[in-house]
Amino acid sequence: MSVLSMRTTRGGLALALICSSLTIARAQTATTRIVSAANTFLSTLDQKQRQNVLFAFDDEKQRTRWSNLPTSLVLRAGVNLKEMSAAQRSAALALVSSALSRRGFEKVEQIMEGDEVLKIKEGNNSIFGKDLYYISILGKPSEKDPWMLQFGGHHLALNITIAGERGVLTPTLTGVQPALYSMDGKTVRPLGQESDKALALLNALDDTQRKQAILSYRLADLVLGPGQDGKTIEPEGLKASAMNERQRAMLLDLISEWADIIHESAATVRMTELKADINETWFAWSGPTTATPGNSITAYYRVQGPHLVIEYAPQRLGGDPSMHVHTMYRDPTNDYGRRLTAK
Amino acid sequence: MNTRLLATTALLLLLGVPASAHRLDEYLQATIISVEKDRVQASMRLIPGVAVSSIVLASLDTNGDGVISEAEQRTYAESVLRDLSLRVDGKSASPTLVSEKFPAIEEIKEGLGEIQIQFTVDLALGGPERRIIFENHHQNAISAYLVNCLVPRDPNIKILTQNRNESQSFYQLDYSQASIGSDPVTVKGWSTIRGRMGSVGFASIFRLGMWHIAEGTDHLLFLLTLLLPAPLLVLGSRWAGFAGVRLSVFQTLRVVTAFTIGHSITLALAALGLVRVPSRPIEVLIAVSIFLSALHAIRPLFPGREAGIAAFFGLIHGLAFAVTLAELGLGRSERVASILAFNLGIETMQLIVVAATMPSLVLLSGARAYCVLRIGGALFAGFASAGWIAERMLYVHNPVDAVVGSVVHHAVWLAGVLFLISLVCWSLPNVLDRRTPQPDRYPDRHSSAPDVRTVADLLSAGNAQCMFPSRSE
Repeated sequence: MSVLSMRTTRGGLALALICSSLTIARAQTATTRIVSAANTFLSTLDQKQRQNVLFAFDDEKQRTRWSNLPTSLVLRAGVNLKEMSAAQRSAALALVSSALSRRGFEKVEQIMEGDEVLKIKEGNNSIFGKDLYYISILGKPSEKDPWMLQFGGHHLALNITIAGERGVLTPTLTGVQPALYSMDGKTVRPLGQESDKALALLNALDDTQRKQAILSYRLADLVLGPGQDGKTIEPEGLKASAMNERQRAMLLDLISEWADIIHESAATVRMTELKADINETWFAWSGPTTATPGNSITAYYRVQGPHLVIEYAPQRLGGDPSMHVHTMYRDPTNDYGRRLTAK
Repeated sequence: MNTRLLATTALLLLLGVPASAHRLDEYLQATIISVEKDRVQASMRLIPGVAVSSIVLASLDTNGDGVISEAEQRTYAESVLRDLSLRVDGKSASPTLVSEKFPAIEEIKEGLGEIQIQFTVDLALGGPERRIIFENHHQNAISAYLVNCLVPRDPNIKILTQNRNESQSFYQLDYSQASIGSDPVTVKGWSTIRGRMGSVGFASIFRLGMWHIAEGTDHLLFLLTLLLPAPLLVLGSRWAGFAGVRLSVFQTLRVVTAFTIGHSITLALAALGLVRVPSRPIEVLIAVSIFLSALHAIRPLFPGREAGIAAFFGLIHGLAFAVTLAELGLGRSERVASILAFNLGIETMQLIVVAATMPSLVLLSGARAYCVLRIGGALFAGFASAGWIAERMLYVHNPVDAVVGSVVHHAVWLAGVLFLISLVCWSLPNVLDRRTPQPDRYPDRHSSAPDVRTVADLLSAGNAQCMFPSRSE
């Protein structure tokens, strides 16, 4: 990477930090809001629950205790919504919501709702359901010192590191089954944008670009799923430096589906970083290049840059790969905010 | 596929397992490879789907006691490694098991168990452009494969291309390794050789040469295939009977010497930096050279000109030898000595192999059975080279490497058995048709219908050597 682009990155980051802190200074900073939501939540818990929710900040076991699988198959720690009183539950969800953007929290709710739909479809199977999501806090909620908030269950693992005004969402897993369902007469596709924007980008490529972007082999699953922290694989596909301005903008817009899950000020910093990396970012596709209108793609794709790995992996389980997907959002250089918290 | 999915889903429902949580009817095998300067590290994650877990468990819990003992774990991990085929720069390499980790048997039954196997492959010294081929054949009827490589930590190593077949059971990694001679401190293997160049250096490079040709099956296959018809006479456009011991020895020496002169010239030129040729076309041409000599062993293509052909293709094989030597990063004065040492190593091993096989060929070549060996050997070489051409030129993955590798693995035994057979044939006059070189007799024989026919006859109708005289003769 050239000195110039390093400078641009740093400059951009600094600018974004200043901007975001200025915006926040007007009201309350995001971190202040999250810390107060965390303290409110903790105050609703009894002694035993609090013990179960709290972990040491550097507890590696708890950090990596997440999965795409249902909670009865891969046990999570912390306290789940089912075990909480109504007041505790709303305090927990308020905490999660405080750390996320509006759209981010909505996505989380829709993923959980999807698991409820699956539960009913599977004959009220008790391994699924929207109350089987666990919350845990690593370290002490603080405006200065780093700490972590985890929230997850089946098809969801949010790992949010808060370090001062910075917020880091990597690694985070989102997934959903069914990928399309109706709710109060409306069609819901929790991860629909992730599918549609990627397909739109693929269709915006010319033949030469498509040839590079489309891999010749099948990808049965995520390469860097749960347990694969800190690994940087050799990127493949089409490099964004070979894209035009419009295609690069589409790629960034696709990336924002994950980067913007976290609260706005952290997302702004993150998007600035990813924008600076864009020419070093790759887009690779494997599988069918069309989708039934209104439905999700059945192809795998990956977006990879110096500080980013996004994987979208449809699952055959359930019969229709367009209805079941796992996605992964990573920064191999900054798992659990290590880059910020390293001493 | 859909019926299979339906069937497994039905099975799951019967078992009362929800069909929406775990891996289903595939055995996912994900490998991540990490290339270092002197070794490859690989970690495999193996996750049997719930519908295929019984197949995997059958080969895992072999005594069926419901527990995967440590011995069973080890055995299974070793069996997975045996199902891999690894090649480094065209030579087969064997993985060494580093660790294995197994989940509980219940987790496997539920399709949640993840087996972890780590192995390494030591990398011998190589050229600036290297190629690793990783094939996974483990449980290929039920498996889905993933293979990726990590971005190398060593800044001298750059990944060039990754090629896979559709299922990812075949994975080819091309990478470049910046001249390690320029940094002797970081490169232990080479620096030791460099440091010892004064005293032991000659010996180690000599050994490197010997090792190189012993492992480089394609070089030996070319030479041996070219020597297959060396003890024979030519009759028209066919191979005829035994040419006699003196002629056979003479012919063998001519071919070996010509090959040596050929590869010595280009090895020296390339190692001194006077000739630079990309390695891939060379590898393809080497495979072509084997293919041609295989055709020649079936029917004489260039009778009497074997030495010329050997010299010509020797020039090409020499360029491949030079790739190994080029990475020595030696100074000019050392370089001449090392070329000599390396070449002597190659010659020595070559002579050992020729000395181990030629007496058997000469003894056998008078026998009726010889055409079976000649045609069989030629077919083997022909298939192997065709496979290599397909792989090296078109990236078509095939099992040739694995097959040749396992044959070479038993080379010493095979040579021994061949020698025993040739002794038996020699001592049994019935088996051995002690034909003296009398070509004028053959046309007559050809016109009279032979009553002894073998499979080889059918395979190669038109080979005079395979037209056996009738027993009454």
